[in-house]
Amino acid sequence: MKNISKRFSVVLLLAAFLLLTSTLLAQKPKANAFKKVAKDTIALRLDSSKTKVRQFDGQAIERYKAEKEFQYGESDTQQLNWWERFWKNFWAWIDRLFGSDEAPKKSKSWPAFVKYGVIAIVVLGIIFVIFKLVGVDWKIFSKKSKEIEVPYDESLENIHEISFEDELLNATQSQNYRLAVRLLYLQTLKLLSDKELIDWEVNKTNAIYVKEFKQNGGNDVFANLTYQFEYVWYGDFPIDKSIFDMIQASFEQFKNQIK
Amino acid sequence: MEQEQEMFNQRTDLSELSQAVEQIRTQLGKIIVGQTATIDLLIAGLLANGHLLLEGVPGVAKTLSAKLVAKSISATFSRIQFTPDLMPSDVLGTAVFSPKTAEFQFRQGPIFGNIILVDEINRAPAKTQSALFEAMEERQVTVDGNTYKMEEPFMVLATQNPIEQEGTYRLPEAQLDRFLFKIEIQYPSLEEEIEILTQQHQTDTLHQLEDIKPVLNVAQITALRATIKALHVEAKLLAYAAQIVNETRQNKALYLGASPRASLAIVNSAKAIAAMAGRDFVTPDDIVKVATPVLAHRVMLSPEKEMEGLTTADIIAQIIKKIEVPR
Repeated sequence: MKNISKRFSVVLLLAAFLLLTSTLLAQKPKANAFKKVAKDTIALRLDSSKTKVRQFDGQAIERYKAEKEFQYGESDTQQLNWWERFWKNFWAWIDRLFGSDEAPKKSKSWPAFVKYGVIAIVVLGIIFVIFKLVGVDWKIFSKKSKEIEVPYDESLENIHEISFEDELLNATQSQNYRLAVRLLYLQTLKLLSDKELIDWEVNKTNAIYVKEFKQNGGNDVFANLTYQFEYVWYGDFPIDKSIFDMIQASFEQFKNQIK
Repeated sequence: MEQEQEMFNQRTDLSELSQAVEQIRTQLGKIIVGQTATIDLLIAGLLANGHLLLEGVPGVAKTLSAKLVAKSISATFSRIQFTPDLMPSDVLGTAVFSPKTAEFQFRQGPIFGNIILVDEINRAPAKTQSALFEAMEERQVTVDGNTYKMEEPFMVLATQNPIEQEGTYRLPEAQLDRFLFKIEIQYPSLEEEIEILTQQHQTDTLHQLEDIKPVLNVAQITALRATIKALHVEAKLLAYAAQIVNETRQNKALYLGASPRASLAIVNSAKAIAAMAGRDFVTPDDIVKVATPVLAHRVMLSPEKEMEGLTTADIIAQIIKKIEVPR
């Protein structure tokens, strides 16, 4: 058994030897694989003919320059009026803004409607700035322009549009004291906003207003009024005339302090 | 203020709740310096019957805070250290063959308890984390076709390192949604750190923990939770909470918005915050207070906003600023 395995290993080694050597032989290049280059230089012939120098025709150049079709660059700004110069510079600026290297040429490519569109936007912008500076109420342009004091239900949150006196009267007459307390609180917020003691924004919570009021030197009275409002409005606590009178008195007292 | 308090006599007796809250605050304050907002959210989470995820860098007392809450309650407590090789059966339990009876018997895992501290939850892969899904949402565990109900109260307090840290996995969205709050524990201020050193350089925290005594039992927690559940919420405030959540689904800065489970979480936790403030009704401030801890972990930023360095909390703050407060 040992002899068989020995023979087998000898045969295996022999086979491996033959395989390896044949690979090496296969990689050996043939004798005529690379042909030698006989000659690697070529003699150059010298050009000895005379050179004729041609001159530009100055008149022709001037003639071409005068022709409009060959004026690729900017036109003479001296010939433009101020309005044309303004638009020329504007479009050149727009082109530079959008990274065009050919600013002067591009300026002619803007369509007229874009031009007039931009003019309209600029004009509207100027009007907007003027209106803002003057402090015009934008509501006058809406359909409800005649109705400056809109009804309570239609303007729940814009405290500057609620007619508090009328709405309070309506609420108390109909014994809706819960709504009346709410109106008292909103009226107080408006008052504080007018006096710049709070910065009114509809997305601010009452706690923020209490904080702002205190930061502006206010006392705890507003915090107490907020407490009353929250118990009545969010807490849905039952409220009768006697309690409402007490609440109203404390709101009135605070209003007088602020005024 | 006394006049106002007389004017509006409480409809719901919240004295026991106020007392319990104050006791827990005192207990936690014995060891944790500052972090008042974190402590309030921990208590609110406990009262609102929610699971809490505490996130922070190592060493800011995440595990300690969770252990303190657990120690403040007289209930069974388990701790599971999540590791990369932890298997679901290590958490839930497994069926073991009993030679005596020649039957397989279910041996309960550490998840069966009242307060479960899952430490470093994001060190285990999603497979193990998903083992908690059923237990956290349905308060039951199903193994081999058998369902085992969890005992009430059941609360998971999990801690995790920020996702950027080495060796952590991002939690699956389905699991994140099951946490009522993600409470981000920040570094203490300089003054607080000095106080920590003053208080603790000569004492051992482990010994201090032994001094913490339970202030609430299981029955009391169940009763308090029932009280909170019954608090009044105006319809307009429900709409306000829904609007905030809905906006997370419309906002272009967010890739994934919050689920209706988030709306419920906002309302329930706002009720707990209201009760802790001694009110039996919710105000918009309560909703705003809980909106970020409820939503920040449930929504996903769009890649662009993530690259800009914004966080989900920033976007939620923007959303809240956009929505009109009902008044």
